[in-house]
Amino acid sequence: MTAILRSPTTIVGVMIVAILAIGASASPNFLNASYLLQQLQISSFLGVVALGALGVIVLGQIDLSVPWTMTSSAIAATSVVGVGAAAQDVWSTELAMPIGLAVGAFIGLVNGIGVALLRVPAMIWTLGINAVVLGLCIFITGGFAPPGEASPLMRSLAVGRTLGLPNALYVWIGISLVAAFLLTRTYIGRAIVAIGNGERAAYLSGVATQGVVILVFVFAGLCSALGGLLLAGYANQAYQTMGDPYLLPVIAAIVIGGTSIQGGSGSVTGMLLGVVFVTLLTSVLSVLQMPDPHRQIIYGAVILITLLLYGRFTRPVN
Amino acid sequence: MPSPDDRAALAGRDRGLLSDVEFVALSGISKSYGGTTALESVDLRIRRASIHAILGENGAGKSTLIKVLTGVVRPDAGTVTIEGAAFAVRSPATAAAAGIACVFQELSLVPDLSVADNIFLARGTGPLGFIDRRRQQKAAEALLRELGSEVRPTDIVRSLTLSEAQLVEIAKAMAKRPRLLILDEATSALGEQQVGRLFEILRRLRSEGVSILYITHRMHEVDTLCDTCSVFRNGRHVETFPQGERSPDAVVELMLGRSVSQIYPAKPAPAAGQPLLDVRDLSWDGRIDKVSFVVRPGEIYGIGGLDGHGQQETLLALFGVLRNVTGEVRFDGRSVHIGSPGRAKGRALGIALVPEDRKSEGLHLPLTIAHNLTLSVLNRLTRFGVINGGRQRRLVDDLMRRLQIKSSSPKAPVSSLSGGNQQKVVLAKWLACDPRLILLCDPTRGIDVGTKAEIYALLRRLADEGAAIVLHTTDYDELIGLCDRVGIFYGGTILRELTGDALNERNILRASFALATDGPTDSGGH
Repeated sequence: MTAILRSPTTIVGVMIVAILAIGASASPNFLNASYLLQQLQISSFLGVVALGALGVIVLGQIDLSVPWTMTSSAIAATSVVGVGAAAQDVWSTELAMPIGLAVGAFIGLVNGIGVALLRVPAMIWTLGINAVVLGLCIFITGGFAPPGEASPLMRSLAVGRTLGLPNALYVWIGISLVAAFLLTRTYIGRAIVAIGNGERAAYLSGVATQGVVILVFVFAGLCSALGGLLLAGYANQAYQTMGDPYLLPVIAAIVIGGTSIQGGSGSVTGMLLGVVFVTLLTSVLSVLQMPDPHRQIIYGAVILITLLLYGRFTRPVN
Repeated sequence: MPSPDDRAALAGRDRGLLSDVEFVALSGISKSYGGTTALESVDLRIRRASIHAILGENGAGKSTLIKVLTGVVRPDAGTVTIEGAAFAVRSPATAAAAGIACVFQELSLVPDLSVADNIFLARGTGPLGFIDRRRQQKAAEALLRELGSEVRPTDIVRSLTLSEAQLVEIAKAMAKRPRLLILDEATSALGEQQVGRLFEILRRLRSEGVSILYITHRMHEVDTLCDTCSVFRNGRHVETFPQGERSPDAVVELMLGRSVSQIYPAKPAPAAGQPLLDVRDLSWDGRIDKVSFVVRPGEIYGIGGLDGHGQQETLLALFGVLRNVTGEVRFDGRSVHIGSPGRAKGRALGIALVPEDRKSEGLHLPLTIAHNLTLSVLNRLTRFGVINGGRQRRLVDDLMRRLQIKSSSPKAPVSSLSGGNQQKVVLAKWLACDPRLILLCDPTRGIDVGTKAEIYALLRRLADEGAAIVLHTTDYDELIGLCDRVGIFYGGTILRELTGDALNERNILRASFALATDGPTDSGGH
């Protein structure tokens, strides 16, 4: 019983209820169904990105190239639409998403090669790649928002609804189910957990550790790209700083969900709740109409305090 | 100038006086973890100027005893007295202040600090706790030389081999100038020469009045070193007697609480037929130098010699871990290239490696027994990458039964098992692959007699069923008792191969030191 009470999932659940209560007392519209659905829709963008980052963290690595993987994929996709419209090419809107995803997968591949084959610590390598991609994007676009807009498919996935629920939510839940299945029921998932617990022992057990690490980084790149494409669909454009606010929430959501930042264990369910918590926290702070600096301070402090309490009260999931 | 004999006699006389004095006494010490009783009303007296062996199987309570003495855990009941006065060992710091130092089996070194920094960790060498770097390095150097270690005080611990690190760990304890020195399996990774050196130092410390608590699973070390033995079983102190009063078999019986007919299984007639493994001129990075040997199905081939002469590297090379290995490996008559552990374990070859360090190389400690057992065979339990739960469960149940792995559930983390059972998990994990060639690196290190005997019997059975086995061990009892043929390494190559009556302690030692062997290939050297 205490094990259930002390599980990260239970604690995040309680914190979500607490935040909802605070929000409801501040604004009567907070518990409104359409407002909450909108929160879930926004959560989806964060959630999709976090799914990719989860795999990397379970490996015992980290991907700090999230912001510009998101941004560059979105810029690539909207530019394809823009260029196609100028040339009156009908195929360009269809190509926007595949090209955006390919950009993300390619960045993930470069990350994976750096970490697995060249053996550079992920923290340095992915941070460096983030800077390189940033530079490339500004160089190519000249520092301006690129001409172009989101393709209809991107817009539909980001803001469209099916059976009254946001399409983004379906995308998020769909990928989450796939990720949870991969992590717990398949060879690749078992290999990821094993590498996170001890790469040498995994290698000596005959696991193709380098291949697994590269694959996980490619998946993370794809997820970041999809998050960027959804965000661009939501805003109907890509812009230079769109990915920047995502790095801390992604890592926070994963760790709050009970995944050890040192790798070796991970929970998709916990992370889903972590994503909802982080999104609601942002939303409550804006409903309370606080000035931005205050919001930032409280946001950072709540996340740090949560993690502190975690170290004392919970046991990591396994 | 007295002769060595005189000095020994003098030391013996001093000892006679000192060794009547009690240094530490435990009375009524009990400790339990949850529902498990680790120690049950233990009374134990440790005299001054004594080398006192603590014997017992894994789980007998030895580790908890050490933890109580070093202040790592506090007993539930009972008292500790030091020199007749009650003493509350509240923390490792209070134990250190009382003059108690311990060499832990699991190394307690900080990998990224230098050897000297590790030896003097937590203590400044200069005034006000500042570090006097020169003095520290000189003191460290002197300690290491005394132990016969060739590492430099400025070396980073991460770059050391296991045996070098173990000597640093010993130097670290000695640097505290302890009055009670505890050594917990402290020689498990050392070669014979290093062990001999250490024993001399321990005897000298004894003559200076230091009490030494010596924990080991190697009976011959107790014979040559200790003067008093205490046997523990199931958390109880069974008996204490002067060394030599009981035969080794009687001691083993005390530890087990039952008799063991024979520790080593009988050897069959020499295997005939085509070799399964035929290694020719294997070389790597100057550390393996033209190693050649053959192993036939049904054979247990031992690899011996002093530590660090290319034995481990040879096993790693045969498992595809090392890059740029030259020479030829023929497997089942075909010349093969073993590029990676993944290829080595594949169906085409079927090679398994039980690595040296089970905690970091053989197992994933936080993961469950089931996960550990299946990791090396997972690709055979899946369809399109998806794990078949039923097949996994059947395999795990079967392996746990076959190796008698004692645990409440296959879902328990491997870290909850005793050392012997952990090693069984490593073995089981590889047996699941049905290997044709099994490479083992010190598989019985730090394991109790009962489990050792089980593992020996298992290896012999696997050989009888047609597997070829290559066993590297630092324990020459094992080479003699278990192996059919033994290759002694020196300077990266096999200097001499011993078999039959030639496979004895004297020949192993002579070959290990490259002493006047009549072998033809004295090609080694540093």
